[in-house]
Amino acid sequence: MSASPSSVQAMELKGRMLLVSVLRVHDAEPHNLGNMLAARRDEAPDLMRDMPIVLDLQPVADAGDAALRAVVQQVRAAGFRLIGLQDGEAAQALEAADAAGLPPRLAMGGRGGSGEVALSEGRARREDPSAAAPEERDSAASGAPVAVHSATRVVDQPVRSGQQVYARGGDLLVTAPVSAGAELLADGHITVLGPLRGRALAGVRGLVTARIFCRRLEAELLSIGGHYRIAEDITEAERGDNRLVTLAGESLNITES
Amino acid sequence: MARIVVVTSGKGGVGKTTTSAAIATGLAQRGHRTAVIDFDVGLRNLDLIMGCERRVVYDFVNVINGDANLKQALIRDKRVENLYILPASQTRDKEALTEDGVERVLGEMAEEFDYIICDSPAGIERGALMAAYHADEAVVVTNPEVSSVRDSDRILGILASKTRKVEQGGDPMPGRLLLTRYSPERVERGEMLSIEDVGDILAIDLLGVIPESQAVLNASNAGQPVILDAESDAGQAYDDAVGRFLGEDRPLRFVDVPKRGFFGRLFGG
Repeated sequence: MSASPSSVQAMELKGRMLLVSVLRVHDAEPHNLGNMLAARRDEAPDLMRDMPIVLDLQPVADAGDAALRAVVQQVRAAGFRLIGLQDGEAAQALEAADAAGLPPRLAMGGRGGSGEVALSEGRARREDPSAAAPEERDSAASGAPVAVHSATRVVDQPVRSGQQVYARGGDLLVTAPVSAGAELLADGHITVLGPLRGRALAGVRGLVTARIFCRRLEAELLSIGGHYRIAEDITEAERGDNRLVTLAGESLNITES
Repeated sequence: MARIVVVTSGKGGVGKTTTSAAIATGLAQRGHRTAVIDFDVGLRNLDLIMGCERRVVYDFVNVINGDANLKQALIRDKRVENLYILPASQTRDKEALTEDGVERVLGEMAEEFDYIICDSPAGIERGALMAAYHADEAVVVTNPEVSSVRDSDRILGILASKTRKVEQGGDPMPGRLLLTRYSPERVERGEMLSIEDVGDILAIDLLGVIPESQAVLNASNAGQPVILDAESDAGQAYDDAVGRFLGEDRPLRFVDVPKRGFFGRLFGG
């Protein structure tokens, strides 16, 4: 196969805004941190597995590089995939001691960020997972920054109070009831072919074009791309059968479909 | 091999022990060799409901620790043949229920019995998890009010993930709903969830509906499983539930508001 060099580019270099989670460590003491990580894992085991994060060690910068290195290991062992270190004294100290095995230093805006900008794309949003990148409107281009594979996750059993289902990098289809106190999360769309009485959070990594459909809407909370509505804000008229939830600007629209 | 059944609810005070006693007695009445185990270590209620509290020598924890063997600890019921009770210890806490120990005792009992009924403690802590872990199926006891239904839903979620069957790659255990303290009058007045409401939320098969009844309290005080009170509505409803448990087709009773006669309505009787 030979493509004429003038018609097809082998590659292109583009800027892209991406939403990334930052893990800020306030206590480098291994036991305390371990407890916290374990508690988080119990809360949402699926969410943490291979979750790409930037590690911010600034609050514990004076712990010494051995302790900082231990934190890096502990965070990795917990299942996070480290894609960067928040730039600052802590990251520089770590790198000065031994750069091997460390992710790149990234300078980010907001608290703790310093001068240089390593990402030419601009400043990734930090901290607030509910803040979606507002520029992203193109569904094909936005969404999960790392997941390429986006198979739909199908759940045929009722999702009960206290249970959490996360469809990483794709859509979620539930063919059974979702109870009050249950939580559905998806990087893409959420479809519930039963009553939805729990929480449903679509586009959790910023896909603002994600939608939620349910056979019967009695939800405790609905969220798309970080914009949410709690049960109190959902009117009686909006509740009912065959409801579609979409995000328009900053507000969630609920329509019968 | 015995079939192991856990009677559970999440919430306390909904009638787990009453139900465990009734179902175990009902199964034994039909000729099945049945044991009922009190998993509520530290509190101990089953022996009171079964009326054998004065015959307790050894308990479940003694057997787990090897202080006594099963034969010594199992209490034979005096009223119904084929029925045995393994009481809980009141002097120990739930930490005494070790995984290996429970598995060993249940394994030993499974050789002897047709049915083992595990009376779970309330909550979702160790005792409840232990009672459910080895079970083949579950009877979820629920009162027709929102917090009980929510807790039952939570327990059903746990049963779907934290049992030996599931961990070994099997299907989640089947759970059936037993609605207790049901009052058709209060449902009609809108003070209580209806059978349909609860069924809609929990989405599991219905094993039975036990009416709110003075007979349950009387039976508890007398140390006699309510199913033995064959005249009472609750006793008959439990008997129906045991029948359904064994695959019989029995229509629901005691779920409609009793019709008042013409004069009753006229004089507000």
